[in-house]
Amino acid sequence: MFYFNKVAELAASAIQSGLSLSSSSLPGLPFADLSRELSDKIDQLPIELNEYGYDPWGFDPDVLKTSMMTAAILYRHYFRVVSVGMDRLPPGRVLLVGNHAGQIAFDGMMVATAMLLEASPPRLARGMGEYWLATLPWLNVLMDRMGHSIGTPSTCAEMLNRDECVLVFPEGVRGMNKVYADAYQLQDFGLGFMRLALETNTPVVPFAVVGSEEQAPGIANLESVAAMLNMPAFPITLTWPLLGPLGMLPLPVRYHIEFGQAMHFEGDHNDEDDAIGRKVEEVKDSIQSMLRRGLAERTSIFL
Amino acid sequence: MKRLLITGISGGQGRLLAKRLSEGWQITGVDRVPWEGAPEYVDVKTLDLRKKKFEDVLRKNRPDAVVHLAFVRHFRGSNELRHEVNVGGTRRLLNSCARYGVKQLVVLSSAYVYGALPENPMYMDEDSPLNVARNFPDIRDLAEVEGLVSSFLWKYPEISTSILRPVNTLGYYVHSAIGSYLGLDIVPTVTGFNPMLQFIHEEDVCEALALAIENQLRGVFNVAGPGAVPLKTAIHEIGRRRISVPEPLAHLIIRELFRFRVYDFPPAAMDFIKYQCTVDGSRFVEATGFKPLFSLRDVFASVA
Repeated sequence: MFYFNKVAELAASAIQSGLSLSSSSLPGLPFADLSRELSDKIDQLPIELNEYGYDPWGFDPDVLKTSMMTAAILYRHYFRVVSVGMDRLPPGRVLLVGNHAGQIAFDGMMVATAMLLEASPPRLARGMGEYWLATLPWLNVLMDRMGHSIGTPSTCAEMLNRDECVLVFPEGVRGMNKVYADAYQLQDFGLGFMRLALETNTPVVPFAVVGSEEQAPGIANLESVAAMLNMPAFPITLTWPLLGPLGMLPLPVRYHIEFGQAMHFEGDHNDEDDAIGRKVEEVKDSIQSMLRRGLAERTSIFL
Repeated sequence: MKRLLITGISGGQGRLLAKRLSEGWQITGVDRVPWEGAPEYVDVKTLDLRKKKFEDVLRKNRPDAVVHLAFVRHFRGSNELRHEVNVGGTRRLLNSCARYGVKQLVVLSSAYVYGALPENPMYMDEDSPLNVARNFPDIRDLAEVEGLVSSFLWKYPEISTSILRPVNTLGYYVHSAIGSYLGLDIVPTVTGFNPMLQFIHEEDVCEALALAIENQLRGVFNVAGPGAVPLKTAIHEIGRRRISVPEPLAHLIIRELFRFRVYDFPPAAMDFIKYQCTVDGSRFVEATGFKPLFSLRDVFASVA
């Protein structure tokens, strides 16, 4: 579902190119400052580029500057994200692990934006995409240039070994496309991220996103239609597919993101599933308790 | 002086390697095509690897080391010929090596054996599966050659056998598929795709072969060059014009051109300009201390 995330970003980056034009001619616009801020933060990223301006995985900061502008506007002005716990982020390699919801991966987008705008020093959160994304024209290129990658274990391990920050949602589609009745209840976690954390000796930073469930409450997920269209899921929401493409727009909920204490795990990464699963449960519990706290403290979904 | 046999010596890489190892080795070369004006320090024999006479060279010459470069890498001929030369030739060579006391063997394969697949990780190590045959039957023979050589490697532990898998090779002497693709007046790319490609200069590949010989290397090694850039950047740096063709159309055109051998670029090779086939070269660097002399800029300048 990363795909929709990218479609949205692609569409919006087109709008953005218009925006950045107008913002330079009208310095009073709020986006001019945001654009400058984003650009400064991206310049501060501790990433080594080769003589042609690319990192070893094809990341290009210039592409990120334009494509993340939409995300930054959504972050500040639409979802009005409140992020806490960024100060607890350890330096060096880190695996961000959190809950997934909301039909379209705005949660991933917002976490990545928080890492750019609020973390100090700013970090590039690298998402791990589904294999089939590599076969989609333009999107596959955009994904690489923005610092993300196809989610093969070896790429993830390589990135962690080079002290990068990798963002994963171990619930995957199970979490993102669940129905609203299951809101904020963590679905089954994949075990792969824990094996990678153990293999590369990477701290796991759990995070909880509150707000994403209400952006597009799921009524149903038509798995047979999804299979027919060769898509990971086919959600039905209040607005989609009723309102067509417009129905993909999220409701203007307020996002709260909490980053928890880094968790260090030790053990054999080739251990049997049960042993790995117990460690995964610890991460899951930590996220679930942050979610519970976040929900209890929330006074309004939209304000 | 120790004796070295180079198969496929008349090709670009063979000539470079002969020059590189001319001091310290007594060099014999074999090739189907003659090497006009070969330097006197090389004894070139014009013969076919598939013929009985080739065995005589090893019997009489008793080389200490063999570098196997005699592969058909283009698609101008038939697949049968490719297979016969590449697989049949290698098999014959391996048998002779075992029989006539060769102590060292280096085979120049290619990173293409991993295949260009959408799910490829960015840095494939030597243990990654050789997937090229999955979508690209035309170069299945390369994977077969690798299979032959690896089993040879295990069967004859007393012979230091190594396989080198260099990335896209560019330069003045070496003719490669990627070289002729990037040499087109207008280079077609597939709309919406711009994979990262690794490049290496031919002289660095030559250096890698020499290092494999000098270090008596044993095993399989990727040889990565100075780095990776998007395909379009490479085309731009080499100074070519580019045309973006939507995939279905590109496929159709290439298939038809290839069918009539107007352009010898098999349709399946299109995956290599859509998906990445990039490798991790650290094993070779650790084993030999290899450091490419030519930067990406130098590599592109050499064919611009």
